[in-house]
Amino acid sequence: MTLRLRLTVLAASLCTLAHAAPALAQQEPGISEKTIRIGMFAPLSGSSMAYGFDPMNGAKMWYAKINKEGGIHGRQIELVIEDDRCNANDLVAAAKKLTEQDKVFLLNGGSCSAATVAAREYVEREKIPLVMLNASGDGALYPVSKYIYGAFSISQYAVGGSMVQFGAEALKAKKIGYINHDDAYGAWNLAAAKVQAKHLGDLPLNVQSVNSNINDVTAPMLRIRASNPDVLLLTTYARPAALIIKKAHELGFDKPIVLAVTGTADLRQLVENVGNKEAFKNVYIQDVLADVPGSPKLQWVYDMYKEAYPDLAARPGYPQPYMPYGLPSAMTVVNALKAAGPQPTREKVLEAMSTMKFDSGVMAGPIEFTPTDHAAQKAAIYLKFDGDKSTLVPGTFKSVWKYEP
Amino acid sequence: MSGADIWLFLQQGILSGLVTGSVYALLAVAVVIIFKTTDVPNFAQGELFMVGAYVALFLVLVMGWAYWLVIPVTIAVVMVAAALFQRVVMERVIASRGVGVQLVIATLGLAYVLKGLVRTTGLGDTPRSLPPLASTSAIMIGDAVLTRLDLLIFAVAIIVMALLFAMFAWTRTGRAMRAVGMNARGAQRVGVNLSRVRMMVWGLSGLISAIAAVLITPKILITPDIAHVAILAFAAAIVGGMSSVPGAVLGGFIIGIAENLVGLFISTNAIVVAPFLAIMIVLIVRPQGILGGRLQVKKV
Repeated sequence: MTLRLRLTVLAASLCTLAHAAPALAQQEPGISEKTIRIGMFAPLSGSSMAYGFDPMNGAKMWYAKINKEGGIHGRQIELVIEDDRCNANDLVAAAKKLTEQDKVFLLNGGSCSAATVAAREYVEREKIPLVMLNASGDGALYPVSKYIYGAFSISQYAVGGSMVQFGAEALKAKKIGYINHDDAYGAWNLAAAKVQAKHLGDLPLNVQSVNSNINDVTAPMLRIRASNPDVLLLTTYARPAALIIKKAHELGFDKPIVLAVTGTADLRQLVENVGNKEAFKNVYIQDVLADVPGSPKLQWVYDMYKEAYPDLAARPGYPQPYMPYGLPSAMTVVNALKAAGPQPTREKVLEAMSTMKFDSGVMAGPIEFTPTDHAAQKAAIYLKFDGDKSTLVPGTFKSVWKYEP
Repeated sequence: MSGADIWLFLQQGILSGLVTGSVYALLAVAVVIIFKTTDVPNFAQGELFMVGAYVALFLVLVMGWAYWLVIPVTIAVVMVAAALFQRVVMERVIASRGVGVQLVIATLGLAYVLKGLVRTTGLGDTPRSLPPLASTSAIMIGDAVLTRLDLLIFAVAIIVMALLFAMFAWTRTGRAMRAVGMNARGAQRVGVNLSRVRMMVWGLSGLISAIAAVLITPKILITPDIAHVAILAFAAAIVGGMSSVPGAVLGGFIIGIAENLVGLFISTNAIVVAPFLAIMIVLIVRPQGILGGRLQVKKV
């Protein structure tokens, strides 16, 4: 072969390769020359809307900021949004629609653990990355799934462990009362609570599990009172939490009550539902933010919200307490897409996420993933809540629970 | 568990159970009167109750009305809605020779429509409370603690049930309803307008649901899912006897108390199982329910 022919063949090969790279990228669903399509879902209506509507707004405003700054490697983020109504069937249907019909590149959604866990099988079969919005979704995170990342607003396992740690360390409890749900979500946080209690020298834990639809909380509250604990830890959703705080007050239970982050979707409404500010004389609430909501440290988040949603921000009760939880989820997606380079593939994004660690500036602890643990957040802060104002209790409280296959 | 604890649990469990049981009893009566006159289990009973709660919430929260106005308007709205459903939907299903299954499906359709309607309002986005009709300050009865609101719920439920018994026993309308329940064709032959009576029964069921909603929702909070309370009303009706109004009342109290005693003496996990356990026991021992009269066998 002459030199000239060799050079021609080489040039032709290079040309082919140069064209092949974008062609490969184009084969990846949801990626075009100018856009990256992301599928989002959360409860945007119904009684669980408070868990997803504003966290999604938080994530959306982060994506909008990135787009304003030029996008990711020149591509704008395009969002396709579905309402999953906190319901497993609706959520799986939304994931399918976004993946198969809208051909999104990855999924960023889920605010309710049980519903989000239901998508695990589908996501793994389709090999599509799922970055949960603010669901803890421990059932999808343990055992680790290559395609699923989440727990930005704290893993449920970590919730139980952190609560027990706070009760023992900050409130000096020697005996603990614990009310959880009788479902998978309740079982996860209880598992870690037991580990933490053992870690603290076998602290006695009086556990009462209730159905989330319970109407009369007399029995669990009376059993708790009879066991005479130094503190009552509540890991229930908003409705049972309000009923229990109300009943505790009626029964004259005056020990500290610590409410997990899952029951704090709307604190103003919680106080209204309990109907008596006196009931909040000794109440603490768990939070997973870096500081008290609205503090100078977090002001930038609330300013950003006001700018993005001026009409919504003007309404009473907005932004809702869970709004900032959507940000670290969107930050993770953006960071992974950036790290995946100008020709992103789902595999590259997953690889980037598997060793990601960054400080979101929003959450109590760093967002940290390892190849063997895809739950981002393990630490929590606690606030003394008097029914009106929240005061930070110094320190962060971390669960010692570790997944054992 | 000490003797003092057992005594306290018994007192508190029974008294609190009577309060929630009185509301289950009211709703069970609503289920039974429809079942007796139309042979249809109304699977939208819980949703009528839920709608009553949201109508009252809307009037209090959005309209800012006082309770003396909210209560009659809520009752009227739910009553008219239920009666219209019977008149417009159920009667047409009957006219087109619809039988039990189609009628039951129609009630399921109503349940979905009502739930969907509430969700579109945005009021159901978070659990909410109606202002209680009485103070929630605690009072001691023996060693047990109840609130003034609890006593009011119990008293009103008893009064409403007593009025219903009086109506069935002594008024022309009540007798017509009973006649239709016993033998619809026979009642028609002596001049009872079946369609009108069925409409009135549905209206009455709406009225009871609205009263139950205004009474109990300040205590259990309102969400679009509170219709599940009707499952306990069905349990109460089955335990007491699906064809017996006094049985429904008794069943309501039994379910309310059973929930608490099972929760207190066995496990709080078992609270949800208690009503179904009661149903199973009754079905084995007395299939027609405690006050269900003689067991009737239909020959095919």
